[in-house]
Amino acid sequence: MSRTAFKAAIDDHVLAELRAIIGDDARVRPDRSSRAFRSRVPAPFPVHRWAEHFPDVVILPRTAVEVSEVVKLANRHGIPIVPRAGGTGLSDGAVPLRGGIMIDCKLMNQIHEIDLVDRTVTVGPGINMLKLNEELKKYGVIYPDDPASYPCSLVGGRIGTGGWSLLGARFGHTRDLVISMEVVLPTGEIVEIAEGGGRKLRKSSTGLTLKQLFTGHQGTLGITTQATLELVPRPETEFAAFFAFDDYMKAYATTGILTKSGLATLAGVVLFDEKKIEYLRRDDEAYIPQPESVRAVVAVAMYGRRCEVEPASKEIMRLGRSNDGKYLGDEISAGDWASRHDRYATPLHGRDLDGQAVLMSWHCEDAALNYSVLPQVREEWHAIVARYRERYGIFDDWGMFAYTSGSHKPWADYLVEIDVGIWEQKLNDENWAAWVSCKREIAQVSLKYGGSITACHGATREGDAELVPEEMGSAWPVVKAIKRALDPNNIMNPGKQSLDEAYE
Amino acid sequence: MGEKELEFAERWRDNAYGCFSSGHKFCREVCPVMQVTRNENHTPTAFHASIVAMEKGLVEVEDVADDFVHCTQCGACELRCPNTLFTGDFYRHRTRTVDVVKAMRALMVETGNEREGWKLWNERLALDHNEPVLGDVRVSQEHVADWADGLDIPVGGETILFVDCEAAFYRTSYTRAFAQLLQRAGVEFGLMREQWCCGGPAAEMGYQDLALKHATHNVQDWRAVGAKRIIAPDPHDFIAFTEDYPKYFPDDYEFEIVLGVELIHDLVQAGKIELTNPVERTVTYHDPCRLNKRKGVHKAPRELIRAIPGITFHDVDRVTQWSYCSGGGGGLPIEKPEITAEISRRRVARAAELEVDTLISACPWSERPLSNAGHEANIGVMDLFELLAISAGIEP
Repeated sequence: MSRTAFKAAIDDHVLAELRAIIGDDARVRPDRSSRAFRSRVPAPFPVHRWAEHFPDVVILPRTAVEVSEVVKLANRHGIPIVPRAGGTGLSDGAVPLRGGIMIDCKLMNQIHEIDLVDRTVTVGPGINMLKLNEELKKYGVIYPDDPASYPCSLVGGRIGTGGWSLLGARFGHTRDLVISMEVVLPTGEIVEIAEGGGRKLRKSSTGLTLKQLFTGHQGTLGITTQATLELVPRPETEFAAFFAFDDYMKAYATTGILTKSGLATLAGVVLFDEKKIEYLRRDDEAYIPQPESVRAVVAVAMYGRRCEVEPASKEIMRLGRSNDGKYLGDEISAGDWASRHDRYATPLHGRDLDGQAVLMSWHCEDAALNYSVLPQVREEWHAIVARYRERYGIFDDWGMFAYTSGSHKPWADYLVEIDVGIWEQKLNDENWAAWVSCKREIAQVSLKYGGSITACHGATREGDAELVPEEMGSAWPVVKAIKRALDPNNIMNPGKQSLDEAYE
Repeated sequence: MGEKELEFAERWRDNAYGCFSSGHKFCREVCPVMQVTRNENHTPTAFHASIVAMEKGLVEVEDVADDFVHCTQCGACELRCPNTLFTGDFYRHRTRTVDVVKAMRALMVETGNEREGWKLWNERLALDHNEPVLGDVRVSQEHVADWADGLDIPVGGETILFVDCEAAFYRTSYTRAFAQLLQRAGVEFGLMREQWCCGGPAAEMGYQDLALKHATHNVQDWRAVGAKRIIAPDPHDFIAFTEDYPKYFPDDYEFEIVLGVELIHDLVQAGKIELTNPVERTVTYHDPCRLNKRKGVHKAPRELIRAIPGITFHDVDRVTQWSYCSGGGGGLPIEKPEITAEISRRRVARAAELEVDTLISACPWSERPLSNAGHEANIGVMDLFELLAISAGIEP
């Protein structure tokens, strides 16, 4: 018999049990608005089917024990659990597919310990990185996890999605920056997940390496209730440079040159393609003045001590110009880099087939790809989106970028994104199905070229989720065995990543 | 869903979709209320989403009424919104969260979803025509100018000093200091014959008819004495006079509105107020939300503080202060005093980190909760005008 957790009706008895566990009715919320506002994330949403994604009740816990007791209750009754931190993800990790109990961890935002000797900070999952760094500033250290959502995403969600950082080439991504954590398992036990030994060790060879298993599982293996994070010295200086090219392939070649430079302070190199420049030209102050000859842009950033960064910046300038690159000037370089978090795709830039501005939601389909396949994937992705745009008139191609993705090893791996505008107000079942199909085609191209469906957003959505078994290949039975062993009743974020197959 | 809800949803839908479609939530961690409650219902993103949800019949006014109480109308979310920050000028788009909150609260009143505290406050306002933060002591029109005892201020004239309810009945030291600074500079001004509340707080709580009634009275009173210029030392009044009143009287509103802190700044610059007495204090400045976030006024107060001899000023930049607030605005202290108190406690704790003895504000509505928090943290809270009066050698 299939043990697939189902959309549960949370009855009065269960609610009474939840209230008894939490002991504060304000933190047990079955009301409509609490449920409605926690059923979506920034990714395009089937707004015509909104109510199908309501959780049945929202819990706002303060402690790991509360989380544990709620999960035990859910496990006993076979009720789905959906963990939610910032709700800023770009896939469906925090979106309920089968209702159930949502555990929203925003109240767990304490800093438990700052250890300046062994260089760690221990926090609750509900804290935001910008807020954390405001507190750390006075100690001369930072927690360098720096996604585009830096001002709003929360540590718990970063761990759950296996987040990717704009500064990952220099400092590593979320999974490299989490040293250990406390996790509530799907059966309710509270466990310490570390490399081995104590909470503050970065490397051990004892037992199995469990830590990576508990980063990037999209809330399907448990809920992080505390995390011990890396502290790095606050960088003395930053350097950013933007170079313009009249040809994508020259920009692509320069990206390769820069990433293979061997400069240790290199924090990231980004390659923006022609469609992305077109998109930014729609209004953007930073790009409007650029002549039409600009067809691609490469941005590069470095962080570290002055004695390292200043001499290295001269080498960056030389390499950036070595293949016809034109430096865009200090103002654009420093200004655009400084505003990297705010340069999210904006709905106001959406255009219909007649070129009229319409409010569009932003879907960014991400993939992990090797350097060698970037030009080919770019062509195929744009062709897919063009086809759907032409046919349905509610999609818009907002361009692509490729961003260095290997932690401390920027030379060969890229986070690649194609940003697709979607006119959400026009969504109905047919258009939604078209979008899912478009998304699936994009993901299939990634797999065809030896890539991964996702470098950081997660493969939790329709269109991606059904391809997870194919991507995992011969390791898929191992994945299923792990899921079944840890979550025997399939209550933890059910329906995501095709993990229901573990129970067939 | 009733007609009123539909009309409301249709009116605000497009603006709401600007937020709903992006869903970035950059506003969340800068929101002073959200920083305390950590409840996603209280985010600007949720406010906008509720309009979309209402249009789709998924929520009704009563479902979201309590959510919409959780806002001080400080405006931080609008500043932090990427849609406003990066594309607002080009598309002439502004994410209008403050207006949405006011409109939803008005809808709450219209649909019988009033909040108890606000209802009582507005009932008292309707009777007495003035009301500070709801307290045990009733106020009355008879005493609206008691603060000016002995200052010999005439009634009427071309320039009228408008005194806020909180400043007239509670923080009277602020008002006296301001009036005396004007007198020192030789500015001629008078008081109203009968000064009613500006109506701003009523509008913020959704009592639009009452707000309009008070605005109409005040404008008529100004005209009756031949006023041409209204001085508003309180930033809340300044917002009411420059944003609400022009909407109430689109064809017929002839008054020049002068912001108190800018006027005093000009007078000090012109040498008409001399700041000669040293003030041996170590201070930081609290950017009042309605000056900094709503009106972009942040230079004049800082320059005034720096002009005071003997003072040590540990400043925190205005952008960092987007996420600071006293919690005193938007009716929050009337409905949710515990949240206001916590917002103020955190604001004062920020000041304490700077090792100052005094937190200077420039808004009387902030000074009640900040003073309460300051009392617990052993940090004095003073108004800028009070401090300037001391430096100018003015006896209270």
